[in-house]
Amino acid sequence: MTGLVRAELRKISSTRLWWGLLLAAVVYTAVSAGATAGFAGVEPGGGQPASPGLDTASAIRGVYAGAAFSGAYILAMILGITGMTGEYRYQTITATFLSCPRRGRVVAAKMAAHLGYGLGYGVVALVTAVVVGAIVIAARGYALGFSTDGLGRAMALAVVAVALWTLVGIGIGTLIRNQIVAILVGVFLTFLLEPLVSLALHALDWDAVSKYLPSNASTALTSASNPYVDFLSWWAGGLVLLGYAVVFAAIGVLLSRRRDIT
Amino acid sequence: MVREGQRIDVVGLTKRFGAVTALDDLTFHVEPGAVTGFLGPNGAGKTTTLRCLLGLVAPTAGTATVGGRLYRDIPGPATVVGASLEASSFHPGRTARAHLQVLALGSNIPVSRCEEMLAQVGLSAVAGRRVGGFSLGMRQRLALAAALIGDPSVLLLDEPANGLDPAGIAWLRGFLRALAAEGRTVLVSSHVLSEVQQSVDDVVVISRGRLVRRGPLSELDTGPHAVRVRTPEPARLREVLAVHLPDAALETQPDGALRAIGVTAEQVGHLAHVEGVELHELAAEAGDLEKVFLAMTEDVEQPDMDGLGAAQPGQPVTL
Repeated sequence: MTGLVRAELRKISSTRLWWGLLLAAVVYTAVSAGATAGFAGVEPGGGQPASPGLDTASAIRGVYAGAAFSGAYILAMILGITGMTGEYRYQTITATFLSCPRRGRVVAAKMAAHLGYGLGYGVVALVTAVVVGAIVIAARGYALGFSTDGLGRAMALAVVAVALWTLVGIGIGTLIRNQIVAILVGVFLTFLLEPLVSLALHALDWDAVSKYLPSNASTALTSASNPYVDFLSWWAGGLVLLGYAVVFAAIGVLLSRRRDIT
Repeated sequence: MVREGQRIDVVGLTKRFGAVTALDDLTFHVEPGAVTGFLGPNGAGKTTTLRCLLGLVAPTAGTATVGGRLYRDIPGPATVVGASLEASSFHPGRTARAHLQVLALGSNIPVSRCEEMLAQVGLSAVAGRRVGGFSLGMRQRLALAAALIGDPSVLLLDEPANGLDPAGIAWLRGFLRALAAEGRTVLVSSHVLSEVQQSVDDVVVISRGRLVRRGPLSELDTGPHAVRVRTPEPARLREVLAVHLPDAALETQPDGALRAIGVTAEQVGHLAHVEGVELHELAAEAGDLEKVFLAMTEDVEQPDMDGLGAAQPGQPVTL
């Protein structure tokens, strides 16, 4: 199993995709942290209430931890999706299954390797968010707030949440083997469908269901605030995310266990 | 170094993809210590057979085993069976070296072996280049290196000569011979007999998923000889041949030349000389293996292909 995981790590490191995605995550995180810090406490106009200001703990956590997560998780998911579907796209799955004919173990090894990269993505995003966020906060004349309540935990959990999304990506990729379709479905679900479902569930007073949605489970982990939903506790949110990854992957493996590789 | 090779056993192998029967009750065995050619036209089922052997395709019926075991039951399978299936199965963005490293790591083979293999197939100079820029011949060499990375005692190579230039084919020939001489089992598929004609000892010929022939290459029946004759007096030549060589089958070709089957050019030339028939052309048709192969595999259902000794329908002929 160690050999398999090392092979999977080498697969990721030996092509250029991982740092391209990481670069995108850094840019996206910088924008996200900058905007969060820049607009915290500013009235959006039209009589709507302002978001919590930079003198509150939740705003500080949102700039440093929340932005790190929201800037990196989609790209981490795409890394996971391509890690699985690329094997089918380039037909390298043949060689992979020749190394290890137990297909479930291959997926497990992929998860382990991608979890490592996901943690790396999370750390890089966190550093980006802290640097950019601190600059904007300082520019606006607020205290940097590094000793804010629960900030350390929020940061650590943001990193974990990013890493878990690579596993969700592996799960999606195992289920949908076409790379383009898998990426589109993944992005569509998280960006479009899920917020809509979340709003609809809220309107129906079904928040109890809504909090189990992947992005709300992530939010439970990163503890950013959302006025609509009450969240799971952080560990339950993590388990729910892990659950999505494992269930997607398990269904994918079950469906493909006997599938012919031609 | 002589190693204990392992036998390949394909028994009653049947594979249906929906309504298409790719393999139909295929049975053959491949012995170690020889290079066996696995021959058949495109679509005959060669690749499907190899994929069944490797556990990538699940047979509808029958078994395909190496050393009596299913591929998935072999511990560390890449160190027992080496395979190259398609020269296209590479990530174009990965270097040749990284491709082999991935395989070595996955099978717990020392990574140092990668450089050895790259040198052995002559790719050391381009080891750090991305495979996307490789020619077909270079990919074939890399695929061969990948198959050999685990120093396997059984080699399954699908169309390894495809895309190699003549020098490459000559190199491959020597390479495969050396591997078989070490006691390994080497099965090489091809749809062009002439490509492997000089490198194989035995052949397994399939067509439409069925066995057509198997046995030593030397015993492949090249069929009765045929002679092409052009003469201004075809009627006279027919007469002479009918009298003196009654066994010869005669047919007229589109350009008016005669084709005499079952006789030699010497026989026809001698008769023409003795009987004073003017000849403008006399040529023995090469009783070449490729033709026999084509005739065997062109249509299993038709028993008589130009009288070149095709197999009976559905009846595998063991040589």
